[in-house]
Amino acid sequence: MSLIAKGIHVRYGTREALRGVGLTALPGQMTAIVGPNGSGKSTLLGAITASLPFRGQVSLNGRDIGTMKPWELASQRAVLPQASRLAFPFSVIEVVRLGLQSGTAGDRPEVPMQALARVGLAHYADRSFHELSGGEAQRVMLARVLAQVWAPVEDGQPRWLLLDEPVSSLDIAHQLQVMEIARAFARAGGGVIAVMHDLNLTALFADRVAILAEGRRLAFGTPGEVLTDDILSRAYGCALRVSAPPPAGIPYILPHAASA
Amino acid sequence: MTAVTEIEAAPRDRLSRARSLHWVLAGALGLACIASLQIGATGVTLSAMLAKLGQGEALSQMERVVLLDIRLPRLAMCVLVGAALAVSGAAMQGLFRNPLADPGIVGVGAGAGLGAILAIVLGAVLPAWIIDLTGNQMVPFAAFLGGWGSTILLYRLSTRHGRTSVATMLLAGIAIGALAGAVSGILVYIADDRQLRDLTFWGLGSLAGASWAKVLSAGPLILLSVAAALRLGRALNGLALGEATAVHIGIDVQRMKSLAILAVAGATGAAVAVSGGIGFIGIVVPHLLRLASGPDHRTLLFNSALLGAVLLILADVIARVVIAPAELPIGIVTAVLGAPVFLWILLRRRGLVEL
Amino acid sequence: MKSSSRMSAPWLAMMTAMFGALFALTANAQQSAQPPNPNADVLSIGGSVTEIVAALGQQHRLMARDTTSSYPPEVTSLPDVGYMRALSPEGVLSVGPSLILSEEGAGPPEALDVIRAADVDYVEVPDALTPEGILRKIAIIGDALGVPDRADRLADEVRIALSAALTDAQRPEAEKKRVLFVLSTQGGKINASGAGTAADALIRMAGGVNAVTDYEGYRQITDEAVGQAAPDVILMMDRGGDHGAADDEVFAMPAIKLTPAARTRQVVRMDGLLMLGFGPRTAEAVRMLHDALYTQGT
Repeated sequence: MSLIAKGIHVRYGTREALRGVGLTALPGQMTAIVGPNGSGKSTLLGAITASLPFRGQVSLNGRDIGTMKPWELASQRAVLPQASRLAFPFSVIEVVRLGLQSGTAGDRPEVPMQALARVGLAHYADRSFHELSGGEAQRVMLARVLAQVWAPVEDGQPRWLLLDEPVSSLDIAHQLQVMEIARAFARAGGGVIAVMHDLNLTALFADRVAILAEGRRLAFGTPGEVLTDDILSRAYGCALRVSAPPPAGIPYILPHAASA
Repeated sequence: MTAVTEIEAAPRDRLSRARSLHWVLAGALGLACIASLQIGATGVTLSAMLAKLGQGEALSQMERVVLLDIRLPRLAMCVLVGAALAVSGAAMQGLFRNPLADPGIVGVGAGAGLGAILAIVLGAVLPAWIIDLTGNQMVPFAAFLGGWGSTILLYRLSTRHGRTSVATMLLAGIAIGALAGAVSGILVYIADDRQLRDLTFWGLGSLAGASWAKVLSAGPLILLSVAAALRLGRALNGLALGEATAVHIGIDVQRMKSLAILAVAGATGAAVAVSGGIGFIGIVVPHLLRLASGPDHRTLLFNSALLGAVLLILADVIARVVIAPAELPIGIVTAVLGAPVFLWILLRRRGLVEL
Repeated sequence: MKSSSRMSAPWLAMMTAMFGALFALTANAQQSAQPPNPNADVLSIGGSVTEIVAALGQQHRLMARDTTSSYPPEVTSLPDVGYMRALSPEGVLSVGPSLILSEEGAGPPEALDVIRAADVDYVEVPDALTPEGILRKIAIIGDALGVPDRADRLADEVRIALSAALTDAQRPEAEKKRVLFVLSTQGGKINASGAGTAADALIRMAGGVNAVTDYEGYRQITDEAVGQAAPDVILMMDRGGDHGAADDEVFAMPAIKLTPAARTRQVVRMDGLLMLGFGPRTAEAVRMLHDALYTQGT
């Protein structure tokens, strides 16, 4: 009952974006994928969600995703894309309902409003999605994804949230809010895989971290194990120091210190 | 900002509003049908005939012909063609995720036009057995084949490894349209003047040639295609989020696309075949309905079929009474009525939607 | 509320426009078809057919006509059932004819089927490009109207007039002028008559030579082909308006500029129906064209 990717290879034309990457994500945990631009983080998520052609194997709760129908996949995992363009002027609640229809909570009409309330946008239900700011749109999409896998565990099987940079266009308060939601989902028994840009949030919320560089997995383990000077410096190609305060006089703001 | 107070306000339910619109439009369709049977150049009216029948009097030959052979098949054609054009438009817009997409854009219209022109110009030199087999249906039949063929060609061109790229499809549609236009141009050059005039009138669109034979030839295909398109509502809603997300929420996007393309080709091809180029129904009707009750395709497709039929019936009544005893090509009426509404919509919505 | 006010304007506009137009026009439609003679029962389709009906002295029996019927001028006051290739079945029946006389090629076929089904006699008159063809048209129409004697008399008159006109129009081969019939000059492109057309037939009957015989029917032709055809005279349909200015325009076209016709400014304009109708006035048309070709100017 986990999400396992083995030997994933992905090519874009002649460029090899992933060269044999593996990843095991366990339910009840938040697994983060980090790495520099172009390291293949989003590509790895793309393979795990079967959004792009790849070589290798991905199994979800014990089944090869290549053998699963789209509706079977949709009942077990929900995917939050980096950015969403909506073609027609649906209202916010209608967008969230799109997620509900495809999940297994389709008989619970109250779920979309609860999901919207969860991301703090229940009062926007009747707004047109097109009128939202980028951050609001991202949170509405998260509500849609939550509505799709509303119960983190169903029939004894974990459900999965696969998030591609879920906090990229959010302010720090909403970054924390979204990460809290994802962690709560994991704590309730669901599985979460998130592609992350922000190393501080990763350190704060992730249970396991995979660090990618140049299409390979450089390290995989708890934040304490892999977020080290050495690994990060190699991954990002510049000298980095973990847990070192900046020179005195320059303010710095870490999410660690925030309280709601 | 507590969750409890937020949930208290129930969200507006556009879906049930759209469902009640079904009944409003069905009522409008009924009224339009009565108007279409009541009004015409001869002054024969449905009410007078019903009164006659009520008193047990027989109808005159003239009344029978006007009602049964002229107005009824024409009404049936209006309903079929109007529904086919509007549903094709709505389905195509959903498929391309673009409120301005139209079957004309993906080459179905151009292909059907090429088929019709081929039949008109080359009809005389075809082997006799083909002409015997198709009879008066040759032009419609050829138009349908052209629309169908160009859609399949389009699909082959834009599908690789089981994935259809909408961008490639749009570009290929433009190319196929240009190619069909060029071949049509060559055919127009070798056509004689009588054929040329036929082409001109066919291109403007007309229902003057409505007959039970045409209704029967186009009807089954249109009904089948529209029925197939009506099943696409949920999938098209998902597609509004993008292809990748549609797959993620469990939609078999490839299957849905194939079905949508077949349905659109069938409905548009058959409609264009029997009625020529009737514009704006496919674009204006879904637009108006999105304004009225939102973009949810589960209701939009069915409402489009109803409103498309209503508008085409009314346009047809106008076309046949405005210069009676002659009549206007109906394409002119739909363009005159539809183009301003379309422009109005564009101006109002500019900036809201990426066109 | 916001979205309902947003939606109502185009809806209202569209519905008002459609229903308004509908009611205004229905009233209009019921009145327009009023033939002058209450006993008239013939619908004539095709300019030359209508001319022949009138020449047979049966004009009083006409109750309606098509768009191409413009002679004699009085017929233009009759209800017009539209263009002969795009007839509206109910429009045709609404004028209530018991006999329809139509030139070959009226349509659409479905409309004709319905009209025949309504117990209306429908007589098709074959096209003609020869004197014999004109006589045949007269005979058919005379029979259909039940005036065969008058038809015989008219046929005799027309035969005599035509043969006289044809004899007078004969010219030795070497003297014959080359004539280019230009149907239209839309967008600077010349649409000219090839062989097998009414224009070609009339040019030959009037003692001229059709300058373009490489193809059948009316076609757009290239500028070079016009130059090569080397017409002495440009023949066009008379569409009214200022002929001087129109002539300047024609002769300024690059294709025509270099032709012999442009050097002598020889352009002939004739009424389209008179020239191309092939009816009772064709002898007149032959003489008129012949005179225009050979007595004017040079």
